[in-house]
Amino acid sequence: MILADRKTGVIVTGATGRQGLFHIRLMNEYAREVGGVGVVAGVTPGKGGQEVVGVPVYDSIRAALREHEADASVIFVPAGAAGDSIMESAANGLSLAVAITEHIPVHDTMRALAYARLCGTTVIGPNCPGLLSPGEAKLGIMPAQLAMPGPVGVVSRSGTLTYEIVDELTRAGIGQSTVVGIGGDPVIGSTFSEILARFEKDPQTKAVVLVGEVGGALEQEGAASTSLPLVAYVAGVSAPPDKRMGHAGAIVEGGEGDARSKIQALEAMGVTVASRPSEIPGLIRSLL
Amino acid sequence: MRLREYEGKRIFAEAGIPVPAGRIVRSVGELGDLSCFGERVVLKAQVDVGGRGKAGGVVICPVHEAPARAAELFGRTIRGLPVTEILVEECLPIAHEYYCAVLVDRSTRQPVVLFTEAGGVEIEETARQDPDRIRRFDVNPLLTELPSFAVRDLIGRAPKALGPMVSALYRVFVAKDALLAEINPLVVLDDGRVVAADAKVIIDDNALARQGFEQNRDLTEREAEAERHGFSYVELDGEIGVIGNGAGLTMATLDLIEQYGLRAANFLDVGGGADRERVAHAVRLLAGAPGVRVIIVNLLGGITRCDEVARGIIDAGIPQRVIVRMAGTNEAEGRALLTEHGYEMYDSMDRAVAAAAEAGA
Repeated sequence: MILADRKTGVIVTGATGRQGLFHIRLMNEYAREVGGVGVVAGVTPGKGGQEVVGVPVYDSIRAALREHEADASVIFVPAGAAGDSIMESAANGLSLAVAITEHIPVHDTMRALAYARLCGTTVIGPNCPGLLSPGEAKLGIMPAQLAMPGPVGVVSRSGTLTYEIVDELTRAGIGQSTVVGIGGDPVIGSTFSEILARFEKDPQTKAVVLVGEVGGALEQEGAASTSLPLVAYVAGVSAPPDKRMGHAGAIVEGGEGDARSKIQALEAMGVTVASRPSEIPGLIRSLL
Repeated sequence: MRLREYEGKRIFAEAGIPVPAGRIVRSVGELGDLSCFGERVVLKAQVDVGGRGKAGGVVICPVHEAPARAAELFGRTIRGLPVTEILVEECLPIAHEYYCAVLVDRSTRQPVVLFTEAGGVEIEETARQDPDRIRRFDVNPLLTELPSFAVRDLIGRAPKALGPMVSALYRVFVAKDALLAEINPLVVLDDGRVVAADAKVIIDDNALARQGFEQNRDLTEREAEAERHGFSYVELDGEIGVIGNGAGLTMATLDLIEQYGLRAANFLDVGGGADRERVAHAVRLLAGAPGVRVIIVNLLGGITRCDEVARGIIDAGIPQRVIVRMAGTNEAEGRALLTEHGYEMYDSMDRAVAAAAEAGA
């Protein structure tokens, strides 16, 4: 597995909001099930001293770290403050920040990511479902019941489509090492290349499913950067140009980033590309 | 959201970037006295599409012909869009056309500034054929200003007067939450003055509120209504209505429909944790859209609960036109509810789309 394991202690920012609260509960249910550390503290400025679903809340990450050990943050704060929350995570020395929040202005994201790089903090997202290492750790909002441990890494720009594919894999008896949702925004903290580099060093991961979509060229860049066996799927073959397909980053601009040319580029590199999600288990099995 | 040229130029002017003398008119009557512009004027249709010049949306004419030519332009469509606003400008004595842009580079996760001596309408061709002629500088977004050396490197031997414009363009890009700020052409006049002859500015949709825009003009009426309900919605021209949760899954559903030789009427992502009311609203929105013969609902329950979705579908009340695929949280309860009310429900995406294709064909 990559990025997080049972020993990873997590701070949730935006802990007292509806989303934060709901997912702290789910993350800690999962942590209990697998014998992991899970969420040790929540942070909401001005709400220090409260407790939500059995987790103490602090005014800041700094205050939380005085009382608890943590390596990672999962960010649920609203879009306008989420860039700041990434920087707060980085400034306090957390090694990983997972930004679930959607609709962060891209300039905020760019600045926060540049700052996180200076601090040596890995950022996943924003606008992502987080990550799940079945049997080890869940940082984010992925439905854990669909997954099972095994040799296949999954890295995806999507949320529910990732769950769909994880569900297909599990039904076919193929388990996952870590499932990473890197996010649907145009600018994201960790791209396919960076996640694939981690999978390459992970002894558990034997092959990877790469789930891309229209917009940009991160899929090709990722595939070109790795020697791992890959099966790719690219959503948005039918997407019209210059229309944003739900995700801020899912847009064919200036005639670039369309699904067909991505698929062609991937196939030219020798990557197997599935034409629909249900084909993925069969294709990945032939690579294991 | 893409700003119109005159809006972009207003922003440029405020940032100290010289722009041509001009005024915006919405009818021929508003042209008024044009003598201040000299002997000739440029009429530029303000339509939200690229390639306007090549499509006949820019007219250069003597001042006395301006009313007739403007009337002609108002009566036309440019790439399908009606002309409702014309920017009237002085005709510039251009000595050379440069190109300068600042945009978000997804690969480097930073802004990048581009500059080339080969500005003008063929810039895309230059980018393809001769990319080395376009100089670039990747900007660490923690910098508040472009460093002087970067500006010097970018403009090379071009007139020094262009330097401050490049710096100002970067400032506009940051201050206005732009995804793109582009001047093409950036012109040097016969007398050595420098002017931004065009302006293309795209504002980040996620920053429209803090930039003071009330709504996103790029959306159609139905798209705007869907956005108010928290949906991501895109109109397409097929016959199968599509509702999904999550952008990726919804796109994958569209693609699968295409594999069955049909076309989706829309893309509608109800978003995470959709409740009964939102689902009912989504189904009704599509049922009322022209050309929709069948609606496929494809949801994977994580945070979203299948029983809640089923109740919403039943509330909308059109069983003969809705095909449902659901899996995940509370799947069994959802299935029981739907079956009871006479809906077809499938557990696999492939089977559901095959059924929708059969019903829609």
